[in-house]
Formats: sequence, structure tokens, C-alpha cells
Amino acid sequence: MSVSGTLALVAAESLDPAAQAVTGTRPAGIAPAFIGEAADWEFVLRNADYLGVGALLTIGLTIASILLGFLVGFPAGAIEVYGDGYLKRAVSVAGVVLRGTPIVVILIVMYFVVGVPQINLGVASVSSAVTAGILGLGLRSAAYQSQIFRAALSSVDAGQLEAGRSIGLSRFEAVRYVVVPQALRRSIPGFQNEFTIVLKDTSIVFAIGLAELLTRGYDLFSEQTTAVLEVILFISAIYFVLTFTTNRALDRLGSYYAIPEGESA
Amino acid sequence: MSDGDFLTVSDVSKWYGDEQVLHDVSFEMDRGDVTVLIGPSGSGKSTMLRCVNRLAEAQEGSIRLDGEEVLSPDLDVDDLRREVGMVFQGFNLFAHLTALNNVALGPRRVLGLSEADARERAEDQLDRVGLADQLDSYPAELSGGQQQRVGIARALAMEPKLMLFDEPTSALDPELIGEVLEVMHGLVDEGMTMLVVTHEMSFAREVADEVVFLDEGHVVERGPPDQLFERPEKERTGRFLERIASHD
Repeated sequence: MSVSGTLALVAAESLDPAAQAVTGTRPAGIAPAFIGEAADWEFVLRNADYLGVGALLTIGLTIASILLGFLVGFPAGAIEVYGDGYLKRAVSVAGVVLRGTPIVVILIVMYFVVGVPQINLGVASVSSAVTAGILGLGLRSAAYQSQIFRAALSSVDAGQLEAGRSIGLSRFEAVRYVVVPQALRRSIPGFQNEFTIVLKDTSIVFAIGLAELLTRGYDLFSEQTTAVLEVILFISAIYFVLTFTTNRALDRLGSYYAIPEGESA
Repeated sequence: MSDGDFLTVSDVSKWYGDEQVLHDVSFEMDRGDVTVLIGPSGSGKSTMLRCVNRLAEAQEGSIRLDGEEVLSPDLDVDDLRREVGMVFQGFNLFAHLTALNNVALGPRRVLGLSEADARERAEDQLDRVGLADQLDSYPAELSGGQQQRVGIARALAMEPKLMLFDEPTSALDPELIGEVLEVMHGLVDEGMTMLVVTHEMSFAREVADEVVFLDEGHVVERGPPDQLFERPEKERTGRFLERIASHD
């Protein structure tokens, strides 16, 4: 089966949650979707909790994927700069493959081919689709983050590492105490980008049957086609608030640690 | 002249690819000696200096420091560098650290001093180079001369038995050279053993026990400064000194 065929199938399945949506009173598809029509905004508000659950899934997926991406991507970037031999080659090949594969394909492979199991955390269990989503988005993000960190590490002047070595720090220590603190500061702008991309790419987990914010929005306005614009505006506002606040927070972090005003590592 | 029982460089050769940059370089130093390496750019003097703390690897010859073979493959280079301070042409201060933390990093992480002890030592060393009032300044907030003095303090904080200076004043504006040379004069007075690559001929003339003139990777001539500067034996030495003098 072609990839697009698979897609169409899973996309159709993912529409099921729409059945839970509260349908508006006006017949679908007759009145044009004007902004500000009370009934349609009311429809959005009545379904706010339905969208809210989607927003929580979006946020959860984003945080978990960015975190996994950092934990894997930072060492990967460091290996690409400082490593050698097979390890370095393996890391850079994995990166090229992950960056060169559409995220939909990565997610489908994780879910249908790798078949990630459900994870039990005692209090809650993470469904296998969510696990696959986090792994797919996280590893893809790791591949991109590795390039952010690779560029940042390489951008630190070679004299810094050399000076660190000259006082007797080992190579690892010199990288750890001298290069990394400077590289992390320089990676903040790239990291902001990556965060924004992962946040919005979480919507692609619809391909493995998960209904996050955008998919739920789609479900809603499929029910009430007069409210398309309202639903889209509403979820866009949520994306905007999430993006804006995190980018501002990272800006703050950047200026807090800025050299020379920032504090020492 | 020295007996050369502290640092003995014998027949050191080094290649970058096919190009030989050092040809059988030899010289010796006693403890407390100041040796100045001079020569045109590309003569290999900085490379020679860097071979002493293994920032560059010599392929042939021997460098004995205080009885130990520096070029031995079994040598722990981190142990070596702990005892050999280095001052760079471009300062290479840790850009993200204050002057104090630049100096304290080695004592803290390499010598394993407590944070308080490392801080105290860093304060002492910065005081020694006249920067007691700049402890919390970042490199970018300091003048070139101040940065280089921090660089010297950073090396001194390890209590090295040999100090290497790689053109320490070449990147400085003329009016800032004096303050760095002053600190170096102070070290000479304290009896520090120093191997210095520089174009500051007046410094070499005043404090060097021996001046080594390198050209195209060869030691052309070496001797006490008054002899080498006043009565150079080789024509190449004379020509180089004339060129330098005409620029001063």
C-alpha cells in the first residue's frame, strides 16, 4: 500500500472522536462562516473543554518530544563535533535518515512497524500511540537539535578548547567547562525555532490515530461547517500563546545567561 | 650560559604533512632562566613553543623537562600542562567566565581545590597582575592589556614550574604593551623560568639569558642577548635584526 493510501485510512479513523463534539444548532454548510456570529463562537466555547484536552495532549507531546530530542540530540551533536570512527559515522547517518524522512512516515513506522508498547507509569499509562508519537517526534527533533548543537559547539573558537587544555583540563573537561557553556548560550535561537516546529508538528500524530489540538479542531468544524473560521482562530490563538510564551521564556533565559552580563557557569 | 639541566630540547623536528617546519632544533634552559625565541613569522618559533606543552606534537627529537621526557607517548599530557603555564597571543580567555573564574577554573577543576580556596588563589593571582579591582569583569569588558594580564594570572594560578609565552603582546595596541611587559618583568624578578616567543627586542635584550634565532625551522644562531644583538655571527641574524629595528 502506498504511503498516501495508508494516510487516508488512518486519517479517516482519527475522525471518530468528532462524534463526541457537541453539534451546533444551525444546519451545516448553509450559512457562511462569518467571524463574530454569536452562535458559532458559542459553539467553540461549548466545545472548549474538548479542544482543551487536545491542547493538553499537544503540550504533553511537545514537552516530552523536546526533552527526548535534547537528551539524544545534544550528545549526538557533540559526537559529530568531537567523536570519530564508527560512532560518529553512525550518528551522522542516523541524523541524515531522520531528517530526510517525512515526519508522517516516521510516526507510522514507530506505531505500525516498530510497534511501541503501552507504558505503565503506575498512576497512569501512556498508550502505545502516544509513546510512538513521542518517540517519532522526539527522535526527529533529536536529529534537528543535534545540528543546532553541532553548529553551536563548532562556533566556539578553537582557542577556547586549547586554553582549557593548556591549564591541564582533559579534553572532556575542557569541552564540559569551557566549550559547552558557551555553545548552549549560542544554541538558544536555534532551539526556539525547533521548539516552535515541534509544537506545530505534534498535529501530525493524527496519522497514528491521536486527536490533539488541531485534529480536534478539524473534527469540530467538520461537524459544524459554519464555524470553520472560529474554530481555526481559536486553536491558532492557543498555538500562538504557547509559542509566544515559550519563546519569550527562552529569550529571558538567553539574556539572563548572556555574556558578559550573565552569570558564570 | 646554562647547563641545561631543567629544559633540554634536542634535535626536535616537526612536519605538517610533507612540510618540515622544525629542523633539529636544540637549546637548553636552567631553572630560573629566561629564553627568548625570535625569528620571522613562519620561522617555527611558536610551533617550537607549543611542542613543549604538547599543544603541537613533535615527530622527532627529545624534550626533557625536569628529568622527564615530554615527548614520551606514555606521558600524561594533562599532568605536563598542569606544571607548564601558557600565555596565548590571542589571550584565549574563557569568554563566559569572569576574570576571577577564568583564573579559578584550573585550581578548582584540575588541582581539586575547594571553591573558597580556588577563589582565594585566583584573587591573589589577579592582585599579582594588578587586576584586584576587576575580579567580576568578563573578558569582553576588559582592555586587551587587562585580558592578557588575566591570561598570565590564569597560568600562574597553577603554580607552574615553566611559563610559555606565545607572542603575548603581538595582538595588543602599542599603548597596552607596557602593562603586560611590566608583569612579565615582575615574573623575571621573582625567578620564574620563562620561554618567550616575542618581537619585543627590548624585552629580550633586558631580561633574556639566552636568545634563540629561528629561521625556516632552523636554529640559525643563539647566545646571550648582548652578543646576538650587537655582534650576530650569522648574516641572516643581522638582516632580521635590521628589519625589526627599522620597524621599531
